Amino acid sequence: MRLLRVEVSRFFSRRAVVLLVLGAALLTGLLAGSRIWDTRPVTASELAEAKAQVAEQLAQPDFQRELRTCRDDPETYFGPGATSADCDVNLVPTTENYLNRATLDLAQERRGNGTALVVFVAALMIIVGTTYAGGDWHTGSISNQLLFEPRRTRVWVTKALVALVGCGVVAAVLLAAFWTALALVADARGVSTGSGTVSLIAWESLRGVALAAAGGLGGYALTMLLRHTVGTLALLFAYAAGGEALLALLPVDGSARFSPTYNLFAWVRDGVRVYDQSVVCSPSQGPTCDQRLSITLVDGATYLGVLLLVTLVLSAVLFRRRDVP
Amino acid sequence: MPGTSDLVVETTGLRKEFRTRRGRKVVAVDGLDLAVPAGGVHGFLGPNGSGKTTTIRMLLGLARPTTGSMALFGEPVPRRLPQVMGRIGAVVEQPKFVPAFTGRRNLTLLAHTVGVPTKAVDAAIAQVGLSGREKERYKGYSLGMKQRLAIAATLLKSPDLLILDEPTNGLDPAGIRDIRTMIRELGENGVTVLLSSHILAEVQQVCHSVSIIGRGRLLASGAVEDLVGEQQVKQVRVGVADPGAAQRALQATRWKVGRDGDRLVVEGAEHAEDITRVLAGHDIYVRELTPVRADLESVFLQLTHDTSLHGSGSAVVDDDTTDETTEGGAA
Repeated sequence: MRLLRVEVSRFFSRRAVVLLVLGAALLTGLLAGSRIWDTRPVTASELAEAKAQVAEQLAQPDFQRELRTCRDDPETYFGPGATSADCDVNLVPTTENYLNRATLDLAQERRGNGTALVVFVAALMIIVGTTYAGGDWHTGSISNQLLFEPRRTRVWVTKALVALVGCGVVAAVLLAAFWTALALVADARGVSTGSGTVSLIAWESLRGVALAAAGGLGGYALTMLLRHTVGTLALLFAYAAGGEALLALLPVDGSARFSPTYNLFAWVRDGVRVYDQSVVCSPSQGPTCDQRLSITLVDGATYLGVLLLVTLVLSAVLFRRRDVP
Repeated sequence: MPGTSDLVVETTGLRKEFRTRRGRKVVAVDGLDLAVPAGGVHGFLGPNGSGKTTTIRMLLGLARPTTGSMALFGEPVPRRLPQVMGRIGAVVEQPKFVPAFTGRRNLTLLAHTVGVPTKAVDAAIAQVGLSGREKERYKGYSLGMKQRLAIAATLLKSPDLLILDEPTNGLDPAGIRDIRTMIRELGENGVTVLLSSHILAEVQQVCHSVSIIGRGRLLASGAVEDLVGEQQVKQVRVGVADPGAAQRALQATRWKVGRDGDRLVVEGAEHAEDITRVLAGHDIYVRELTPVRADLESVFLQLTHDTSLHGSGSAVVDDDTTDETTEGGAA
């Protein structure tokens, strides 16, 4: 317990960790703020301005000529069966055309910004875990710590726990703050959110928190293995970018199943359906050939879980056995 | 290994092999038998690359021995290291702390790891003369201040065994004097201090006993006076106006006579006055007669020189380069 308290203190005392957490909080705030701003209710002056713009366009001779031409021969514009009403619907400007303002729909936010935020926070937590462990190796203070607590497994597990929980808590706070802010604003604007959407957001956020916590833990474990922050980040980048490139080149059907990106999104979005370039359809196969591939939540969890588990085991075992500089 | 209770540090047949990044095998420690008795200050001497730091790192669990056994306070390590680590304070090579933390914060974190109260941190800081500077960031410390902080860290646990690797490195003369005094006092107060140092005068001044290693092997061990005494060769340096004539006169005796510039070095004379008597008999009068005293430096140089001449040929690594091996790739 003593060691845990010390490690928590060390974790949140690291300047790099604090800066990353602050950066994540700032960007979460910016994202929430931009969505709230972009979906703000239309003001009376904006409405008046839009109406004026509509009136101005309606008064344009060119526009009136175009409209008349369309009404005279609507099928030329909109195909067989079109009527002059189609011309009014499609050509006559409305105030909405000039306001271009969406409402704050949490269901839409979940599929767009919600997923982006989860991925973004998880990526930052990987760096947090990496820099938390890397600092000890870079400064050499790990050897000093072992002179006070020589039980290496205990040291490794305690640090791992701090990386896991620390990153999880940070992610939970950020995601909760993001969704709470959007939900409160939506409610204040009278936009109702169905219980189904709330439930989906809650589950996606929970998976996001788990992803961020696991990312922090994985970053920590990999750095304890490689003993180098930049080395770890370079390896992760090479795996993510190089892995995708390699999979694209592999002449094996279904290789997209092993894409880090697809599996990541499968976990966050409760499964994804993706286009698999490795599947080549010949004309003789007809419609039976499907180039789309489903990667389920379980597939994504298995893929990411195996990667994490292998890293954890290697890291813990080798930290116990290797000499510490 | 026989558990000898009055030995604080004991190694038997300790061996450490590394592989360099190029795959070459190097032997850092080669069957080292080391015994450090309880109490007092024990010097640990050896030239660069002789295996001192590697030995210390193995004792402290930072490196794994290839073969051999070790014991601290009679407990086999590294297996029982957690049970005895609370009694050991150590500085290995350079001080290693978190640069962005203050000196005090670094010590506080270490103290809390082992349940030492915060007031002990202040006491340790005061003991090494860092009071007033403890709230500065570690990265702003001079080398001497870093060294003092590292020594303060060793004192946090009120250790029974203090292992210090070049503790006066980077200290100013006043700092060196303070640390040596502190080491001497700790040794006199029952703490066993294992002092690894290249500074032979320091070891001779501070240590009660010494172990000298070369090429990873123990060359000599014992009380400093005994070691110096064993190697003592009675020599007298003689200055005369005509060294040639004096040499001829003295060669008639059973003594060995050599030249040291314009002086003679006579070995084997029981008393210095015997030399003056012989020379006076030849109308040669002495203007300088100086006994040549052996010191730890000459003992050390003689032992380590012999090792380098008659070594087994096994490769050794410099202590400062061990992290370039496959075992210890530093961040």
